[in-house]
Amino acid sequence: MDLSVREEKRSFVETIKKNSFLIFTLIPGFLYILAFFLIIVFFIVQMSLTTYVGGMAEASPTIQNFLDLTNSEEFKDAFSRTFMFVIISTPLQLITGLVTAMIVNKSFKGRGIVRSIFLLPLAIPTIVTTSTLLLLFSKGGHITSLLMGDYSWFPAIVDHEISFLSNETLAMGLSILGKVWRDTPISMLILLAGLQSIDESQYEAAKTMGANSVRQFMYITIPLLIPAISSVLVLRSIEAWKEFIFPYILAPSYPILGVLIEKYFVQLNNPGMAAAIGVILIILIVIFTLFLNWLLKKVNDLLVRV
Amino acid sequence: MKKKWSIEKIFWLFLMVFSILIVLFPIYIMFKYSISDRASWITGGKYPIPWWPFDPNFEMYNYYLSDGRFWSSAWFSVKIAFLTIIISMGLGAPAAYALARFKFWGIGIVLFLILSVRMFPDVSSVLPVAQFFNLDFVYHLPITLKVAMGHTLLGLPYIILIAIGVFQTIPIDLEEQAQVMGATKFYAFTRIILPVALPGLAAGAIYVFLLSWNEFVFSYFITATSIADVIPLPVYLKTLLGAFSPNPVSIATLSLLVSMPVIIFTFIVQKYMIAGATAGAVK
Repeated sequence: MDLSVREEKRSFVETIKKNSFLIFTLIPGFLYILAFFLIIVFFIVQMSLTTYVGGMAEASPTIQNFLDLTNSEEFKDAFSRTFMFVIISTPLQLITGLVTAMIVNKSFKGRGIVRSIFLLPLAIPTIVTTSTLLLLFSKGGHITSLLMGDYSWFPAIVDHEISFLSNETLAMGLSILGKVWRDTPISMLILLAGLQSIDESQYEAAKTMGANSVRQFMYITIPLLIPAISSVLVLRSIEAWKEFIFPYILAPSYPILGVLIEKYFVQLNNPGMAAAIGVILIILIVIFTLFLNWLLKKVNDLLVRV
Repeated sequence: MKKKWSIEKIFWLFLMVFSILIVLFPIYIMFKYSISDRASWITGGKYPIPWWPFDPNFEMYNYYLSDGRFWSSAWFSVKIAFLTIIISMGLGAPAAYALARFKFWGIGIVLFLILSVRMFPDVSSVLPVAQFFNLDFVYHLPITLKVAMGHTLLGLPYIILIAIGVFQTIPIDLEEQAQVMGATKFYAFTRIILPVALPGLAAGAIYVFLLSWNEFVFSYFITATSIADVIPLPVYLKTLLGAFSPNPVSIATLSLLVSMPVIIFTFIVQKYMIAGATAGAVK
């Protein structure tokens, strides 16, 4: 008994000794991330439990910030906007990602170039994408003129100038458009990997049985793509909750949670409130992701049974 | 052989052309605005903005390329990006080597911890980081280092993930042979493994460069809460957008100048961009 414990201990020490170089190389990078992880968790909790007046800490610990938030209309509005943003932009990214992935998955001349073009939005800094949208949709910009029929080749759709940036629905729509445009390549790549793992012979079999391409898509592609689709939905919805830059530039008067954090932290100099919103945002992401995973598992089980 | 033009093929062709146009359209618009003359954007409501400027010119490029403020911002961004590369490669490459070679039960937990730092929303995690940098004992660190440390936090998990892939492709025999011949592990790592891994690691470094160059949230919050006399390029671009009457030519030109290095680099390291973008997607 005693012997085997000692043996085990010795083998453990030996593993450490044998791999001392590997442990030594792992430690610095790991500690860096661990240190920041602890800094983030510690300070965000501490800040959220502190009230600030004029940037100076006043009382701590207190849950006053959270109480204030539950009574705040601004926070409730921001929450529902964020929720809508997630609910709309995630499925849209799935659709655009699937369409582009299916295009690139076909074999044709110049496929590499087309793929590179589809990846371009990923390369362009987000702030540049937002500024392009700002130019296109601002008053007197191309899109408003287009919709008013100022260009002879396009019919007039509206009779007065629409201001996209000062209408809540349109401004949020614009942010979603920007988000989808920029992040489609990511969903495309995930779905493309899924598409390429589907065995070609399944399609051949379906074809000999006389299935047309719509049926092939519904009964072969979609079911086999479920893991990739789940990945896209989970990863992209997390990113959508985290969104900041598009609504920050395109819909500053209609803040989502991320934009509200910036407002409290930088403009109102109230780190306590900002951190409280940050904590709530993290909790929301965790709850939503768990729920989505549960839902996807249910759907998957259902499909497998059928 | 005759080519068949089925309805299906035409449908996909149409879809492809349409998608390409949607991707390229904003880029074209940027370029068009950047070379516009005054009459092409101040129309006074008499005529719509033209799709191609009346009198294209490169005046705004001349202006920016001879502007000290632009160059100091660009230099600041470059410094941050290179510092980010140095820190994240210095920490990430060895750690990835350990994770690729060391087999023990806790490896999954370590990897999960490393990636979990990216689960926080940037806009949440930047608050404590900015607050931390305002503590007395770190307050006087150079601003470049502060921003670079923030970017490292974002880039390091990706670097580790990319580098693990690179090290796993290098056969373990290589270092075993070196050790048989009497080389220490450190010697084998620095003289034999690293040179072989260099091309893959270089691509990872470019990925981090792009990440740092494009990054807005950390750059903005950290420079906004410290005393910074220069700001990184993306934040500089944001100040133009927030101006009382934004000048589209100036915005478009600066946008293109910021995007240019990124677009060029992306085509070089596409493969690794993909690895970074889809990290964690494969279950």
